[in-house]
Amino acid sequence: MKKLYKRSAINFVIGFAGVVLSTGTTITAQAQTPAVASPGIASKLIIRGDVQGLLGLQMVDLRSQRRNDVLVVQAEVVNTDLKDIRLYYRFRWLDAGGMQVGDGEGWKPLVFMGKQNQLLRGTAYGPQATDFLIEMSAEQR
Amino acid sequence: MKFSFSTTVGLLIASLSSLLLTGCPTVLSQPTVSFSRQVSYGDNKAVETVTNEFGSTDLQMIAEKMVGSLLEDPVLANRPTMTLSTVRNKTSEYIDTKSIMNSIQTALVKSRKVKFARSNDEMQAGVDELQRQNQSGLYKSQGKAQIGKMSAAKYTLEGEIVSIVKQNANTKDVFYKMTLKLYDVEDGSIEWQDEKEIRKTSKR
Repeated sequence: MKKLYKRSAINFVIGFAGVVLSTGTTITAQAQTPAVASPGIASKLIIRGDVQGLLGLQMVDLRSQRRNDVLVVQAEVVNTDLKDIRLYYRFRWLDAGGMQVGDGEGWKPLVFMGKQNQLLRGTAYGPQATDFLIEMSAEQR
Repeated sequence: MKFSFSTTVGLLIASLSSLLLTGCPTVLSQPTVSFSRQVSYGDNKAVETVTNEFGSTDLQMIAEKMVGSLLEDPVLANRPTMTLSTVRNKTSEYIDTKSIMNSIQTALVKSRKVKFARSNDEMQAGVDELQRQNQSGLYKSQGKAQIGKMSAAKYTLEGEIVSIVKQNANTKDVFYKMTLKLYDVEDGSIEWQDEKEIRKTSKR
């Protein structure tokens, strides 16, 4: 499972800016790193499909922090293409043992107009969630 | 050695059958009671776009947004007791608002960040059970639930859902807005409030 995730994630083209871990610390990556999967951000993604899986979408920022003892995640995704793209995404919340917390989220659709960037935001089901993954799938609108 | 026509045909069919039996994998039946494939189970978390009326994806997105917003708010810091109040449906269609609230309540209860007291709808069943234990004379006093020990809710959750529908000859646009408020029962103030907006557009 983890290997599959890593393989998919490595295929994802990421312009990575920063990852804030749940402790509140910020890992600032090299700005506008082209076509390179940062191990930090890539380890949090599950991309459906191959290299072209997310079409022109790029995740440029991913951060998380605990609020009221609950994990809150925010990801910034940019459409680098001129065409509109529809993204489907959902968060998977994991406990300290790597087991899924809760019943699993529903897929959420989000339309990106050409060159638009948007924030994906998720809140864990409760304090037991200590880690997360973001599952993503995209199609041309 | 001569074969009759019927024998030749028989041998041909037999050899073809054996070829088919050995060459093609046998298709196993599945443990279902339906012989047709008109009905199938799907992903209950998938995005449903069958029509642009209120659907399962809308319910899930509203519940997730409200639960997330509530859980990260400091109002839940000391595990308060809540109860569900009404959610008014001001849309033009039938929406089971109780179902939305049940999804929200389920997630909140599972988070262990909130305690829920019986709502007005659920109270009668609780009263009946208390009366049965205390007034029927059937139960020994040890372990019997006592009357007058219920926890009162500090907060009530109530809200409304509205829709704006616009359509022309080839496009229908539906905009839903769900508003949820957390009221302090004692002083009547709003301690938390959030909204979820959903736009659905369909073309003919």
